[in-house]
Amino acid sequence: MPLFRSDEFKRAALAAAVLVVALSPRMASATLGEAEITVQNDVTRAHASVKSSQDRTGYRVHEITLPSGTSMREFVAPNGMVFAVTWTGPIHPDLRQALGRYFETYVAAPRAKFADRRHVQIRQGDLVVQLGGHMRALSGRAYLISAVPSGVDIGDLH
Amino acid sequence: MASLNALKSGLCAALCMTAVACGGGGSVGRGVGGGGGGQTGNVASVIVDEGPNNASVNTLFTSVTVCVPGTGNCQTIDHVQVDTGSYGLRLLAPILTSALNSALPVETLANGMSIAECTQFVDGFTWGPIVTADVQVAGETAKSVPVQVIGDARYSSVPSDCSGTGTSEDTVATFGANGILGVGPFEIDQPACADAALAACYYACATATSCTSSAVPTAMLVANPVTRFAADNNGVMIQLPSVPSPAPTVTGSLIFGIDTQTNNASGTQTVLTVDTNADLLITFNGESLSNSFIDSGSNGIYFNDTSLATCTAMNLGEFYCPASTLTLGLSIQGMNGVMANNLTFDVGNAQAMLSANPTFNAFPQLAGTNPNPGSFDYGLAFFYGKRVAIAVEDKVTTAGTGPYIAF
Repeated sequence: MPLFRSDEFKRAALAAAVLVVALSPRMASATLGEAEITVQNDVTRAHASVKSSQDRTGYRVHEITLPSGTSMREFVAPNGMVFAVTWTGPIHPDLRQALGRYFETYVAAPRAKFADRRHVQIRQGDLVVQLGGHMRALSGRAYLISAVPSGVDIGDLH
Repeated sequence: MASLNALKSGLCAALCMTAVACGGGGSVGRGVGGGGGGQTGNVASVIVDEGPNNASVNTLFTSVTVCVPGTGNCQTIDHVQVDTGSYGLRLLAPILTSALNSALPVETLANGMSIAECTQFVDGFTWGPIVTADVQVAGETAKSVPVQVIGDARYSSVPSDCSGTGTSEDTVATFGANGILGVGPFEIDQPACADAALAACYYACATATSCTSSAVPTAMLVANPVTRFAADNNGVMIQLPSVPSPAPTVTGSLIFGIDTQTNNASGTQTVLTVDTNADLLITFNGESLSNSFIDSGSNGIYFNDTSLATCTAMNLGEFYCPASTLTLGLSIQGMNGVMANNLTFDVGNAQAMLSANPTFNAFPQLAGTNPNPGSFDYGLAFFYGKRVAIAVEDKVTTAGTGPYIAF
């Protein structure tokens, strides 16, 4: 259970009340809508490598390469919150982890009329998920509308 | 609604009979029944119809016969989607007779563990064991080819690192077809999974409900069955009639082989090679879109043009609804530098077309936004009025070497 192992140091450091939260796998490893520290959780749990971390105007971006070759980027607002994740590659990343508390919203969201196997565009409250591509070349973007820093064009994030 | 369904089934039956009648001499009579249709030699009939969910648009289907290897324990499955954007045959378990489902041998690793796959589609995943089957389409047979059985009741426990990638599509209702025949320009579905145990790819199962990620030998990975035919195995051609306006159904041909028979000569086709993702470059509105593709498995023409109005009703928000039908231009460039210039396509008002033709299933002017800003996805509409060849990687035709698309 690498998930719990990776959280051990956190549990030791946090107060008892927070410990209860940390015991919930989804809360402990979430990224979207969570603090920047969860980027490191992704790396640890997915056996991934951090390819780069860059400060750009209005946000910071961490690029992670997953063992499948899928490249994943996590965008962090000045307040430290992950406001968007994007990915491209042959296999989707662990979205239960990457979308965190929003994963179930994504999975349960009604699919558009005339869906095919190449497109998903979902907007549920604050959450937007957009997926495209085809077998071996999948791409995706998920973000929280209210968390996008002012001045950042979400269309530039990919 | 009942009368609509009755109308649709009647129409389908009539067209299927036509397809069989057109099959000509030498038909072995396989594959008839509810869609797909007549089959002969290296030509399988294909149809765009309402699909098993009575909800499909611009979706191409055929019939496939699967057998327990080397036996007469066979079943013909209708409404298997013909998909140039994926690789390999996958069948929905509930469609299979229990006699066939239980007899199809599940592949096993050297350590005796059975093999299953978490297949990654854009909009979700399919989960199920990999079996070997003799696959027959028209007069062609691929012996003992790896095939995925989706939603197999014995493999009821989806590993969490598979379900964590999205939405399950393990039923006919969620998959939209009885199966899928991936005939894209590569042989293997996920070659990376031969070398490493990757999450959400291939799995080794100690029991049917206890599976963990595993590397799997290349020969056991799900493969495009065309590449395993004894002959006519270097690619396919899809030939569909011109569809100038919405139509109830469209019938055409899936031809196996390129330059292997008198009916599949390349002639003077424009050959565009594709990259390792099967993508090529489409230029639209002055923008070069490098993640573009031509794909029988896409039901619309998906691209971004902020000057086009999207629809506001009927839950069609992703589709375009211009006031009147527009003709737009694009060019396509292969990795070999060959250009197909001055092509045009039409964008109609999705809301108007769909509401005016509620029982129709072919909409050549159906277009919508693309979630990937770097992509132009030219779906089945590209194939209407053309004969499109898809040559498999490293396979040679008189027109070139795959992977390529030619038209």
